[in-house]
Amino acid sequence: MAAISEDLFFAGIAELNRRLVAREFPAEELARAFAERLERLGPRYNALALPLREQALRQAKQVDGDLKRGRLRGPLQGIPYGVKDLLSYAGQPTTWGARPYAGQVFDFNATVIDKLAGVGSVIVGKLAMVELAGGGGYSTAAASLFGPGLNPWDRTCWAGGSSSGSAAAVAAGLVPFALGSETSGSIVTPASFCGVTALRPTYGLVSRHGAMALSWTLDKIGPFGRSAEDCGLILQAIAGKDNADPGSAGKSFYYTPQYARQLKELRIGYAPADFNERADPSARAAFQAALVVFQEAGAQLIETKLPDHPFGAVLSAVLAGEAGSIFEPLIASGKVNELADPVQIAGLKASQDVAAKDYLKAMRLRRIIQQDVQQLFADFDALLTTGRSGPAVKIDQPLDKPAPGEWQPAPGAPAGFQGIVPMGNLAGLPALVLPCGFAQNLPVALQVVGAPFSENALLSIGKDFQARTDWHKRRPPV
Amino acid sequence: MKLTRRQLVAVLAPAAALAQTQPAEDALAAAKAKVKATSDALAKLDLPMSTEPAFQFRA
Repeated sequence: MAAISEDLFFAGIAELNRRLVAREFPAEELARAFAERLERLGPRYNALALPLREQALRQAKQVDGDLKRGRLRGPLQGIPYGVKDLLSYAGQPTTWGARPYAGQVFDFNATVIDKLAGVGSVIVGKLAMVELAGGGGYSTAAASLFGPGLNPWDRTCWAGGSSSGSAAAVAAGLVPFALGSETSGSIVTPASFCGVTALRPTYGLVSRHGAMALSWTLDKIGPFGRSAEDCGLILQAIAGKDNADPGSAGKSFYYTPQYARQLKELRIGYAPADFNERADPSARAAFQAALVVFQEAGAQLIETKLPDHPFGAVLSAVLAGEAGSIFEPLIASGKVNELADPVQIAGLKASQDVAAKDYLKAMRLRRIIQQDVQQLFADFDALLTTGRSGPAVKIDQPLDKPAPGEWQPAPGAPAGFQGIVPMGNLAGLPALVLPCGFAQNLPVALQVVGAPFSENALLSIGKDFQARTDWHKRRPPV
Repeated sequence: MKLTRRQLVAVLAPAAALAQTQPAEDALAAAKAKVKATSDALAKLDLPMSTEPAFQFRA
């Protein structure tokens, strides 16, 4: 049997599964190798919340038994993975990254964990996160029970939040894939900073049953993986109707790259300023080179603008209103003061002041935003912009205001797609993050945003881009 | 980028200290001011009376 090599820690799902099915090594050996690596290296990045080695080995043994009997369960069979510690795993601590919940244990699994078990995936650990997924707003990378999420490309920099551990663990080859969540930016930001491919699915496509609620109408669960193809395979396994999630759209997802349209057939909206005036100067060359890849592939890049709405204010009112209700018991009990970040404590306390009229007005505006976004996608197959405007920030940099000397766009710079993260989340849009180069020796990424339930189109764009580039294959110096 | 343990501690210490720099009262006043600013921004916007909230939100 082949030994588990360093290369295997960075292999894609299809390769790992092919080699498992070919019996090159048993699933148990693969699970043990990843579990050991996660336990050994996870703490280097403050990425590990809870090792689950025993459970992983038990699950992997079952997979080996299935493979021996020819019971094939698809491409995720035998593939180890990790989950953000906001997903419940029966009988084990689920901390939500926050001290007040450090001893919390649920007696049921999140739906997505059960779904992955059903296709034979092997959970090897829970991954660190920003406390309460950043609810209330946070000012520092240290806002986590597990310490600041450190970036595998440079441990003096932040891994991004709130799905810090999910992104860092995939980037460092500690797991082949991971699940994270996004309410507003918590998948897009860490994926961009850590240089991994990730997908924020359409609202309602993936069940949140068993996940911490931060905002009932904004929360989404999504995959971090090695490629767009991996994200498609994972999404197929975790998507689908769930009566236990009131927000479930009742739709399944089948990854169908064979029916994908080519890049040259697609109309892609973009704003040149995102790749120039609004981008960190150190990242502009990488962003512009990525645009050239799209142009050379024949994609129709068409300049456009986002609808004009105060996306940030609308999202703030919705998020604060819902989080304020969800965490009212935490705030009323005074346990909120046990959180690590005073700004977050204050933000949650202030959320109790959100007036019903403001929440309702935001939700009414949201309907108009949805209509305008729908209109926008009548003209475009996707929107293309940057994941973040530059590389990861330093670990000691304040997150709620610019650091002294930090680069900012010039006053009067074109708006570009500023606001696409709150807009995309308010309208429940899917987004795919694609690593596209480096700046200051740190990864930077693109973000492709589509109409609701257009994941196959986004993934085909990603697959095509990744067939023409190798940024997603780069490895940090672990 | 390889870092020694000592170098890493030097980097992380300011991050932890940053979390403790702002007095709780100031932080709460700033957070309440943000809620007020959001409210003021929303108040400036007119909506047709027929616009219903996106309850039972669907993408």
